[in-house]
Amino acid sequence: MKRFLGLGIMLLALNIIYAQNPAKVTIKGNVIDTSNAPAPYPTVMLLNPTDSSLINFTRADEKGAFEFKNLRNVPYLLKISLLSYQPRQFMVPAHDKEINDLGQVKIKPISMELMEVVIRSAKANLSFRGDTIEYDASTFKVPPGSTVEDLLRRLPGIDVDADGNIKSQGKDVKKVTVDGKTFFGDDPKAATKNLGAETISKVQVFNEKSEQAKITGIDDGKKEKVMNLELKAEFKKGTFGKITGALGDQERWAARGNLNSFNTKEQFSIIGFGNNINQTGVNWEDYGEFKGQNAFSDYDNGDFGFNSGGGRFYYSSGDGGLTNRFDGRGFTKNYGGGANYNFDNGKKSKFNASYTYNQTDLNLDEFAFRQTFLPDTTFFNNDTTNQGEFRNNHILNSRLEQKIDSNNVIIIKANARISNQDAASLQNQFFSNSLEKANNRLSVDNNSNRDTWGLTSSLIFRHRFKKKGRAFALSAAFNQNQNDLNENFTSLNRFFNATSFTQQIRQLNRDNNGNDEVKSSLLYTDALTKKWFIETFYNFSQSSSQNQRRVTNPELNNQLIENLSLFSDNRLLYNRLGTGLRYSHEGLNLSFGLAALQYDLHSEFSRDKGQTLVAPALDRTFTHVTPNVDLSVELPNNIYLSTAYNYNVQAPQFNDLRPVSTYNNPSFRSEGNPNLTPELSHNLSAGINYWDPSSFSSISVNMEYSAKQSQIVYNQVIQPDDQLGLLSITRPENVKGGNQFSTFFWMNRPLIKTKLTLSANGGFNFSKNPAFVNGIENETNSKNSNVGIDLNATPSPKFILSLGGNLNFTNISYSIQENQNQKIRNSSIDGSLKYQFAKKSFVESNLDYNIFRNDRFDFKQDIPIWNASVRQLFGKGNKIEVRLAAFDLLNKRKSIQQNGSSNYVERRISNTLARYFMLSVSYNVRGYESKLKKNNWF
Amino acid sequence: MKKIFLFLLLLGPILVFSQEMEGRIRYLVVDNWTKQMEHLDYLSKQRREKVAYMWGNRSEWKSYSNLFFKANQTKYENSEEKAEPEYEGGYTGRKEVFFQKRDFDKNTQYDGLTMLGKTYLIEDSLAAPKWRILNDLKEVAGHVCMKAFAQDTLRKQKIVAWFAQDILHSGGPAGFYGLPGMILEIDVNEGALVLTADLIEMKKLTTELDTPAKIKGKKVKQADYDKLIKAHIKEKTEAEEPWFWGIRYI
Repeated sequence: MKRFLGLGIMLLALNIIYAQNPAKVTIKGNVIDTSNAPAPYPTVMLLNPTDSSLINFTRADEKGAFEFKNLRNVPYLLKISLLSYQPRQFMVPAHDKEINDLGQVKIKPISMELMEVVIRSAKANLSFRGDTIEYDASTFKVPPGSTVEDLLRRLPGIDVDADGNIKSQGKDVKKVTVDGKTFFGDDPKAATKNLGAETISKVQVFNEKSEQAKITGIDDGKKEKVMNLELKAEFKKGTFGKITGALGDQERWAARGNLNSFNTKEQFSIIGFGNNINQTGVNWEDYGEFKGQNAFSDYDNGDFGFNSGGGRFYYSSGDGGLTNRFDGRGFTKNYGGGANYNFDNGKKSKFNASYTYNQTDLNLDEFAFRQTFLPDTTFFNNDTTNQGEFRNNHILNSRLEQKIDSNNVIIIKANARISNQDAASLQNQFFSNSLEKANNRLSVDNNSNRDTWGLTSSLIFRHRFKKKGRAFALSAAFNQNQNDLNENFTSLNRFFNATSFTQQIRQLNRDNNGNDEVKSSLLYTDALTKKWFIETFYNFSQSSSQNQRRVTNPELNNQLIENLSLFSDNRLLYNRLGTGLRYSHEGLNLSFGLAALQYDLHSEFSRDKGQTLVAPALDRTFTHVTPNVDLSVELPNNIYLSTAYNYNVQAPQFNDLRPVSTYNNPSFRSEGNPNLTPELSHNLSAGINYWDPSSFSSISVNMEYSAKQSQIVYNQVIQPDDQLGLLSITRPENVKGGNQFSTFFWMNRPLIKTKLTLSANGGFNFSKNPAFVNGIENETNSKNSNVGIDLNATPSPKFILSLGGNLNFTNISYSIQENQNQKIRNSSIDGSLKYQFAKKSFVESNLDYNIFRNDRFDFKQDIPIWNASVRQLFGKGNKIEVRLAAFDLLNKRKSIQQNGSSNYVERRISNTLARYFMLSVSYNVRGYESKLKKNNWF
Repeated sequence: MKKIFLFLLLLGPILVFSQEMEGRIRYLVVDNWTKQMEHLDYLSKQRREKVAYMWGNRSEWKSYSNLFFKANQTKYENSEEKAEPEYEGGYTGRKEVFFQKRDFDKNTQYDGLTMLGKTYLIEDSLAAPKWRILNDLKEVAGHVCMKAFAQDTLRKQKIVAWFAQDILHSGGPAGFYGLPGMILEIDVNEGALVLTADLIEMKKLTTELDTPAKIKGKKVKQADYDKLIKAHIKEKTEAEEPWFWGIRYI
């Protein structure tokens, strides 16, 4: 009770105090400057004293007089600001009268130097904190390597004498602190003489109570000038990386690591890996991080004109370098590594260079079954191949982009590659007749060594004219390829028929191919109106190549086998001139045009270099006019339509033009055809894409159609041969007709937002290809349809489940033997789960069930692959990960490929790495994420 | 000499005063995708660091916008002028509906904007952000500006505005207003999005301030629109995806 009484009295007392103040107040005053002259037109603001939020503002009149009427009578923070004066703010308490006349309010001018030098010239931000004026020192330019002292000499209001003593506004600076802390004792010069100017972000000068006053606690009124230097927060600098070592049963092992170091301008990274578990490279994500900001390659194709694409940049998943490209067959042992450097100062220059090395040692046993159809009969091949291969690549990439000024840019690219391939293969081919009775066995033993060298280099210069929309671009490129192949070839043909004999061939092959290409392109675009543009381009390329194939007989003193050897000296000249109009406005982009192109081929063939020509030199010129149309429309509601038409002309390959036949395997000979003309085709494409950003659903349907006006096909003549059993001869010829049609769709739709997503894709491909077999036209119709469905569920952040399936049907029909029509069925069902069962513990498992069928041959094979792993994170920041993984728990993995085309159907089966277990330990400088990843964008 | 200079400086604002308060301000809009990602605290540190590393110095995208103003009205919209260098011409996308009108006399706002594929028309009375006035000065487009700060609690954004003390207008770009001077720069989340005036033209306007005719859209109040954004941000937070895909950053 007493308490309440007390409280009541207190409240009453407060009431009385407040009652003395009126509810509303008028605040007024006159703003003057330090010379007591009125300051005209300052802005006067009333702020809330607790958080300086703006409550009201007014502009004073010419004489600096201001007035706020009818205000709530509470305390305010009054703030006056006027150009070239220091902002002034002070408390205005609640007033006891209705009018609170503040009288004259003085504001101090900002020194001319600060105004002119700091604000206007250096564009630095001036901050006022009571007495302190601070500004961003980093905007003052000093030469690289300058000390803070050099920087201070340039700052207005600060004087530095010859000895390095500092004065601010005429007063000695007694103390210099760095980030508020004393730097190396009391000598103020220690910091300013030793610190680099580039480490400083702000300079503050303020008055501090003297040391004496601080110690005694008695303010003696003396204040000393103190300078504080604020260091730049170098948050954009760092190092990260990770390293993994893994051991398994059956002597399986794997190791990989990467280290990246970066600052605001540079990125440097190294990466390395080695294993015997069929990883021929690193995964996509690690490769991306290795390339850093250069993982997004700029689209700089110098071949201007139609069909040269566009776009700003794209994610390049590797240039044959370090990404995993294992094709699923055999056993491999792999090593690789590389270094990458990127420079980009965000202004004028961008440079990057990378070097990568990789090697793979492959051991492959493959079984192939093949049925070939002839107009009246059919035959079978059963092949077994044992192949050992060692290959390595050195790849060097570099790119420089230099902006000369805002209207001119130059790009220089150079890539080089050196590869070596050492292979030994032993192949046994069983030929059998239509009743599957074995006829002969061809054994081929081939040892080969191939060295290749490739260089691509280009330069692109782009210029914009002053007139908007007018631009010019020029490109030049030089490419070189060298390919040296040595083969030691032995074949043995054994007949099971008693009357036939065994034939043995031994030969040494040496292929030596070199190609030099020089290219250049020009492009000129101009705006006709705001929406219409004209573009004109010219492409030129000249390439010369020398291809030599020398086949010698090791049993006859390595004498040249003339009818198998060939030397060709080729030259190709290409010119194209084109022009077109482009309309571009509000989502409608249309371009159409015409180009005239000419191929000029010259080729000379002899049996060996320096020998007489086997046929008169070949000189062919092909001239064509090609139209091109491209349309893309952006409709409302995120619907995009696109369609394009082009007429494609593809010159024949020199090798196909050769006037004589060559072969390696005596049963398969290939001839050339000097009368070939270019392949001509009409190509049409169309697509529709729809994206619903609110549900994140999307659907995309694309189709492509190509009608061949003339195509080069390899016609076959297959006939019994006394010595070989069956001899097949292929010969390229131009054939009319044939077409290809393909569609592809993709869709993605959340069924329950953030919990359950459905995605589906599928396609239908149809192709009709004519070719002649033994002089009779065989039309192969191939129809392929595929569909895939995936359901992805995230019932909780700790549990991710997915279930999917794929069906792939291929029907192939042959006009020469309709009873041989094939139905190939490959399908799969897969499921996976990821479960975080404790704070730092995860279990992951997936099962892929693959089904292979071909009813014609009663071929049935099911391959279930089951993988499972458990992993645990350790340590502060989750830097250590230990993982136990089991691959192919059911021990069923095998590679199966089924395909068919022209007049054959084929199935290849090979062994590969099956069940193994592995324990791995990884260390990640940045730490591993301690939760499951819900999605896979960056 | 100094005095004359000071006098000239003082004359500056008077000149702006005496002129008709009507014209256009062009803003250079710099979107920094990496910095926008850095502020998404619901994504793991590793992921945000990876984005910053992979995008490097390519994270910026520049464009222009215009603020048209008259004594007590403003209209803000995107400009067709391109700020990124373009050489051989390129693709032109469809223009999406976007304008923000402010009428300080009638105390009304009228905005048209596209969010997640839908067009909304927001008609409401004005409610200025709670500005805190700070003690910093800097120059933007030739005008000495003072710093103000506001917190956007909906999008978790720190808004820094620099307003010109000598352009007597309480308008600004991107829907921001309510300061004792024209806002010449807006900085959202420490550089994630920066709008800086780079051209100020005092001129008589014709139709620039007119309300665009024939715009179809769903009519909502600002509070309803904010609710939609709130729901979307919540959803994207759960999905661990950036919320600003398909929706304006401010």
